Amino acid sequence: MKYSEIDVAVIGSGPAGMAAAIKAKEEGAEHVLIFERQEQLGGLLSQCIHNGFGLLYFGQDLTGPEYGHRFAEKVRDLRIEVMLETMVTQISADRKLTAVNSHEGTIHMQPKSIVLAMGCRERNRGQLSIPGTRPAGIFTAGTAQRLVNIEGFIPGKKVIILGSGDIGMIMARRLTLEGVEVKAVVEILPYVGGLIRNEVQCLHDFHIPLLLEHTVTQIHGEQRVEAVTIAKVDKNKMPIDDYKQHIECDTLLLSVGLIPENELSRMAGVALDPLTGGPVVDQRRETNVSGIFAGGNVVHVHDLVDEVSWEAEIAGTSAARFAGKEEMEKEKKIILKPGRNIRCIVPQTISPQHDVTLYARVKDMEENITLKVGDIFSKSLRVVKPSEMLKIDLTYSQLGQLKDDAVELSIESVKRRQNG
Amino acid sequence: MVEEKIVCIGCPLGCRTTLRISDRGEVIKVLGYKCNQGRQYILEEYRNPVRIFTTTVLTEKSSRSLLPVRTNRPILKSRLREATLTLVGVKAKPPVKVGRVILPDLLNSGVEVVATDDLFPDPTLPIKGEGEGGG
Repeated sequence: MKYSEIDVAVIGSGPAGMAAAIKAKEEGAEHVLIFERQEQLGGLLSQCIHNGFGLLYFGQDLTGPEYGHRFAEKVRDLRIEVMLETMVTQISADRKLTAVNSHEGTIHMQPKSIVLAMGCRERNRGQLSIPGTRPAGIFTAGTAQRLVNIEGFIPGKKVIILGSGDIGMIMARRLTLEGVEVKAVVEILPYVGGLIRNEVQCLHDFHIPLLLEHTVTQIHGEQRVEAVTIAKVDKNKMPIDDYKQHIECDTLLLSVGLIPENELSRMAGVALDPLTGGPVVDQRRETNVSGIFAGGNVVHVHDLVDEVSWEAEIAGTSAARFAGKEEMEKEKKIILKPGRNIRCIVPQTISPQHDVTLYARVKDMEENITLKVGDIFSKSLRVVKPSEMLKIDLTYSQLGQLKDDAVELSIESVKRRQNG
Repeated sequence: MVEEKIVCIGCPLGCRTTLRISDRGEVIKVLGYKCNQGRQYILEEYRNPVRIFTTTVLTEKSSRSLLPVRTNRPILKSRLREATLTLVGVKAKPPVKVGRVILPDLLNSGVEVVATDDLFPDPTLPIKGEGEGGG
């Protein structure tokens, strides 16, 4: 492999990176290279040993390692170049890329296009500002998952989980099965943060108490966590003093959200959307920097891995075409605007000449709404929740109904009038 | 008559349903569901609550300490903890390919426990003979 010949460089080899690289190769890019900082392909999939992966993509109920294995085999079969234990440290707007590893030292190259597939990371204690001491025994749910499923350690014996994200609930089940006492899952919102199937199969199945509208207000312990104070919260999410309880535990796990990992994107001058935390992309998943594309959880946090891979395939296709110097037609761009009760939309811009799938997340849970895209699309939904991403397929002909001078399109969730 | 509560996982609505069960264990009535698919799911979940079981087993002579495994078919959810304990003493030896049977008959249920990832020998150990297999 000559570094000067790389057509498409993919940063990250999780479910997004592998899918992007495979698609780029299939779309005709000759030299595709994946950078992975760990010692094997797959990113976080190797520690997600539970099932529920691939139901949409493969039509089969796979575990994380199995899902990753299928993509890794294809990466091998297609002779995609892989650099393991290699970390990209810098990229620039003209696609100059710097990476380091222990056998080559510093590596420089300028691939014809780049796909960002760095995924996301977990929100941690520092971002939550929970008062108290700073003892050992506080982990993010994903760190605990790695300890239990890869390293073979149990993080503690009596555990409280703050936040009801999917990884937190999955770890509640995993730890319970390993003989750990999970005392409660504490959620500040009035509803669960993750998927319903995880609430049922990880919490209900094991009778793990779920405390909604509660939060941790204090961490106790000097060397090791000894207890936490939990309080009920009011409508403004403020703790109510009369409803405080002291719970003994030696471990606190945090499952309080994921943030797209975009340090490299920023270095290259990629514009980020404050609502998603990821790059602003068009429907081909190109960022504002020409030749730099992005897909998967680096763009916005998805609910399902299948959607991560699909989105990255769009980025991979586009990167291959860019590297092949395929002329991109100058297309009219329409900016998508989050309207009533919509938190964020991906892609942020579209061109009305093509069919497109939009992904949106709502701010608050609502029942009986109509989801509207301008005047060209509407759909009735019985419920929308922040934890469940909305998928909207727009056709070329629907977009053709837009006025010629349209520059914006609003997506909104409108309350339906109830009859009777 | 007893009541049992089951949450439907069919869609984001997550209907919290109540089943009225006769003394003979027959479902008399399902309350709180909003579609027929949901009703079907709830009845099945009452009669036969099963789950795919996933865990890890210890390894020998490999650079990784654990191998992830799953059941090839769902097992009763009431037996998940028992299943975990059964696999405590099981050790997998490389080489193992994904899908390879690690335990042939879990809890006399006829269900197989299979590897969900490949397991390679520790490259720092001397190689002797052919793969002895996992189990």
